[in-house]
This record gives sequence, C-alpha cells and structure tokens, in this order.
Amino acid sequence: MRLSLHYILARTIQDMRRNLFPDVATIGVITISVLIFSAFSLIAFNLAAFLKIWEEKIEVIVYLQRKTPAREVETLLNNIRQMGGIESVKYISSSDAMAFMEARLGGQKNLLEGIQPTVLPPSLEVQLRKEYRNAIKIGEVVSQLKQFSQIEEIQYGQEWVEMFSSLVHILRITQWFLGGLLLVAMAFIISNTLQLTISSRQEEIEIMQLVGASPSFVRIPFYVEGMIQGFLGAGLALLILFVLQRIVLLYLPLSMKDWFTKIPILFLPLNTLLGIIAGGMVLGFLGSFMASMRFLKYRE
Amino acid sequence: MTHVYKTYPSQIAALTDINLEIFPGQFTFIAGPSGSGKTTLLHILFCSERPTSGQVIVNGMDITQKGFKEIHHLRRTTGMVFQDFKLLKDRTVGENIAFALEVTGHPQGEIQRRVLEILKWAGLLGREQDSVLTLSAGEKQRVAIARAVVNNPPLILADEPTGNLDDQMANDVMKLFMALHRQGTTVLFATHSRDLIQRYPYPVIQILKGKKVEDELGIEVKADP
Repeated sequence: MRLSLHYILARTIQDMRRNLFPDVATIGVITISVLIFSAFSLIAFNLAAFLKIWEEKIEVIVYLQRKTPAREVETLLNNIRQMGGIESVKYISSSDAMAFMEARLGGQKNLLEGIQPTVLPPSLEVQLRKEYRNAIKIGEVVSQLKQFSQIEEIQYGQEWVEMFSSLVHILRITQWFLGGLLLVAMAFIISNTLQLTISSRQEEIEIMQLVGASPSFVRIPFYVEGMIQGFLGAGLALLILFVLQRIVLLYLPLSMKDWFTKIPILFLPLNTLLGIIAGGMVLGFLGSFMASMRFLKYRE
Repeated sequence: MTHVYKTYPSQIAALTDINLEIFPGQFTFIAGPSGSGKTTLLHILFCSERPTSGQVIVNGMDITQKGFKEIHHLRRTTGMVFQDFKLLKDRTVGENIAFALEVTGHPQGEIQRRVLEILKWAGLLGREQDSVLTLSAGEKQRVAIARAVVNNPPLILADEPTGNLDDQMANDVMKLFMALHRQGTTVLFATHSRDLIQRYPYPVIQILKGKKVEDELGIEVKADP
C-alpha cells in the first residue's frame, strides 16, 4: 500500500496524543541536551566573532633602534613595503611619538615636561592586509621583520591573540566533544522513551501485524514521531536560548553594557539554527530507528 | 503441508511429520485435546511460527522458503480468529473492524461502506459505536470474525473460536463460519469440542500429541458435503 504523508502525520499525531507522557518526557530531554550544545555553540560563535573583529583591527608596531640613521630608515621602509601581506607602513619619529603622547594626555601634558623626545624610540606602524590579520599569518610577518638589524622590538599583542585563539579553539573542541556525547545520549534516551511508547501500544502493534499491516506501515509513524520529537525539542531549546540571551543582556550591569556596545553580541546564524534543528530531527529518527529495530520485529 | 515438524528449543515436539492438503472452499475441523498441537499447526499456517522442517504452501505461497518476507501479504489473504478475540479494547466495534481495512490502505469511503456491510452480515448493525468492552463474549467473537473477513480473505483460520462461549453463542458463531464456507471461503476450525464436531457435517483432521491420527479420538471421519 502507499502511505500518504497526510495519513502518516494524522496517525502519528493521534498516537502522540494517546501517549502524551512519554512524548513530553522525550521532548524535555532533547530540549535540555540541545540547549547545552547550542549554549556552547553560542559562546564559541560570539568569541570567534569577537576574535575576528579584534584581528581585523590588529597592527604591528616595530620599534627601531634609537640611533638608526634616516637613510637606513628609508631603505627599511621600502624593504618592509615589498614584503608579502603588508598594506601600509608609517614611520613615527621620536618627536611624532612625543606629540602623540601630549595629545593623549591632554590637560595633563605637563607630566611630560623635561622629558626629551629622544627617550621615545622611533617606530613603524605596520598595517597588514586583511588576509594576514590572524595569529598564524601575523607570526609569519613578524618572523620576517625580525631579520632586519635596525629593529629592536616588535609588538602586536601576540600573547592576547594567541590566548584568545586557543580559547576559541578549546571551546570549539568542547562544543563538538560535548555535542558527540549528547548525540549518543539523546539517541539512547529517545530510543528508550520510544520503547515505552511502543510497549504501551504492543497490543495495537500485534493486531496491526495480525491483520496484514506492512512493516513500513507499522514503523514509519514511529520514525515520524521521533523526528517530530527532535524538531520540537531542538526548536524549544533554541527558543529558550534566545530568551535567556535577551534576559542576560537586559540585566547586565551598566559597566558591562558600555563594554558590550563596542562588541556586538550575536545570536546563532540562520544556517546554524537550521543545522541544529535538522540535527535534532536526525537524532529523533535514529532513536526511533534503534527502538524499532529492537521492538518492532515482525511478529512471526 | 508436507512432512512438517515443529520442535521447540526445550526439545518438546509440538508437531511430528504432519502431511495434509486442504482444498479451496473446504471447511475442515482440526480436532484434538488441549496441547495436542492444533494451535501450533494454525500458527504455522498463519506464519506466526516457523516449522522446524518441512514445506508449507498457503494460498500458493511457500511460507517455509528461506527469507520469506511476505508475511503481511499472506496475512491479507488469511483471516485469523482467536479464542481470546484480540480486539482493541479502547476502540469501538466499528473502529476495530475498520482497523483491518485502514492498515491495508483502503480509502475512508470504502472503509465505511465495508464496515456497515460486514456488521450487517455479523448481526451487529447498530452496534458500531459501542465500545467492545460493553459486548458479550459471543458478540466480541462476532466482531473478531467480522474483522478477520472484512478484507474478503480466501482462507480463515479459527483457533478455538467457541472455546469461551456457551452453546447458544457457539451456535451463532458457527453459523457465521458456515456462511463463510457457503460463500466459498476455506475454513480451518480448530476445536477440542467433540460435541461441536459431531454436530456439523465437515471433515475432521485429528491431531494427538503432535501427530496426525486416524481414529484414536473416536471421531467419525466425514466427507466434505
């Protein structure tokens, strides 16, 4: 026989209503599992977005030896401009640096009285091309810069970039590791709660088989039920996560709110949301498939 | 059925070298005391058990073939009636009968028409909305028979269908089986009731301790009328 989608859905919904308790329990478990996974995804996603913004703003400051002759500075500038990944290089003399500091100090510039500009070393502000603004590529540029003898020190906030990069990396690994564990646990739980549903309907299933229902007629509604549970559980988890994020942002202390105005806090992108919902449905299907393999063998 | 043996894992031989041939349209009693192997024989014909060895052909299908996966097709051409009715207790009379048509993919309009027809045939017209829990044992068995025949199967297997019924109810149920027989349906009717067998003019296959016997049960062997 041909099973129409309308018939399968109608029967599945009718079956779910008859077995409300195990269904609600399964959806609850899926919701909690997906919520944990998607919370990790959300944190990792925001940190990665933050890292990207940070990396885009990154520049390399090259401090020169104080007694570098102007002629050598010119040659050095030309050499650096010819290196791969360099967008622009700007020379900041000791006097420029002093003027910059005075400007930054504003009304308190008298603090600099008596200090000679030569105390401040001349430097180069190196802007990198967009594709070079990440921890690995910066490292490559810096090691090339270190070859020049006129350079005394190079700063680019390497510790922060590397640490932040590692943090995002660890979060991503945790997210997928945890995701893997939750995946197995969810499939197992769905399978077990569906077994409850199946055993509560054992009599009906037996009679279906006695009157000639095909194996797919008996099984397909259980698969659909698992997928609906996965869809509802994952959808509910994402809704809860969205509401929780709004609440957290709403109740942030004022000092933190100022900080967050500079960093946009994002919710998961659409393709990730769809991926999580599809994942929930696949898990629901796997759980019901496992249960049906064990409990819906054709009664011989 | 040719040289059919059925031995359970506990080494109990339920059937030993059973050979029998039932012709289309025949009404046959399978007689024997409780535990003689009647139910096992019917279950093998219904594919709810597999024989240990031997060949069984039902409605042209060799159901002993290795990897036989067409059980549901076989069951659509074979109606089975049980002593304990096997009805869905949370459904009405009509829903129980309609269930057999739903699972075999009949359209709703046809289901309604067929259910009413079969209820009329079984003497249950007007009871379609009643819960099966409100029925007497005889009525439950009539619902079970109606469900078994609603798909017009050419073969009906009945496992002690009158075992739980008093004489009057048993007669009513027997009338339904006789009506099916008159319509050309093959009926295999397992019973331990010697009285019932002697009352009706149908041939008898006697089973004792898993073996087919000729006259050990003292039942007169009759020819199909």
